[in-house]
Amino acid sequence: MASKLARAGVRQVKPILSVDHGEARQRVLNLYKAWYRQLPYIVMDYDLPKSKEECRAKLREEFMKHHHVQDIRVIDMLVIKGQMELKETVEIWKQKHGLMAYWKDTVEPKPQGFLNKFLDGHE
Amino acid sequence: MKVLVAKYDACLRSAVSENKMALRFTWSLLSEIPIARCHRAVSTSAARYVDDLTVKQVEPKSTHKTLMTSEEASHEKAVSGYITIDTPHDITAINGVPEEQLKTRRVLIKIPTKNSMQSGTNNLHRWKISFDEKQRWENPLMGWASTADPLSNTEVSFSSREDAIAFCEKNGWNWITESPPVKPPRVKSYGANFSWNKRTRRSTK
Repeated sequence: MASKLARAGVRQVKPILSVDHGEARQRVLNLYKAWYRQLPYIVMDYDLPKSKEECRAKLREEFMKHHHVQDIRVIDMLVIKGQMELKETVEIWKQKHGLMAYWKDTVEPKPQGFLNKFLDGHE
Repeated sequence: MKVLVAKYDACLRSAVSENKMALRFTWSLLSEIPIARCHRAVSTSAARYVDDLTVKQVEPKSTHKTLMTSEEASHEKAVSGYITIDTPHDITAINGVPEEQLKTRRVLIKIPTKNSMQSGTNNLHRWKISFDEKQRWENPLMGWASTADPLSNTEVSFSSREDAIAFCEKNGWNWITESPPVKPPRVKSYGANFSWNKRTRRSTK
């Protein structure tokens, strides 16, 4: 019995910051602009081995990761987390590797397929 | 800040009306904001003029609400109420769980098995979720069992199957449920203990 139940239904919930989609969208755009304008300074302050364009592409990628989110409260929560992230970055509470982790350049891709997993010591 | 200054000036306006310099300064600020915003003012003097003496006058508790614009006030009222949404409840975007823990896990929702050694059934009135097994190994240091699975020994109880399903859906896990076995009720008849042709005969000892 693995049938998926449809759990979408109209219901009343408590809002976090925004009361409608337009307002939530405006908050997202404001956060994006704040990040976008801060990027040159971030690159300079942290001495990142990335160009502004690469950082902008990564910023866009991070925002587009959640483009499917429709719930107003989830959007608000993501905006709050993004704001906290920006604050930490601007105040240099992070370190260089904390920002470079967005590119995951030191992460080895996990083995795919049974044989590769077996040779890697899994399964 | 400018709005605050303007409001402050608006209430001073009557008090300093003789002072032409102050009046000019006040009006220069007031001209930038709509008149509708200026009617609320902060009292800076002990004397208060009220129109209706039969209504009990209450001192405002804080200046926070007094200084809000009408848009801010209406938004704060809206936020303190409820909004209507029709999207499924999904917290996977904000709960910080790695994607591989969401996509690859499967949850089994079932009523726990009755302990065959005991006759009690009180622990069967709940639905438990448990996660599929991941790799375990013997740790070479002490020989204890190790696992890299953060959800390996997680067991959560729910009062109904629907609650458990909703929880799994909210967290983005695939789930399957197992219905409890349906056992036909045993016939409890005294005469059946002595039946000669049915297999219901029981020893009386």
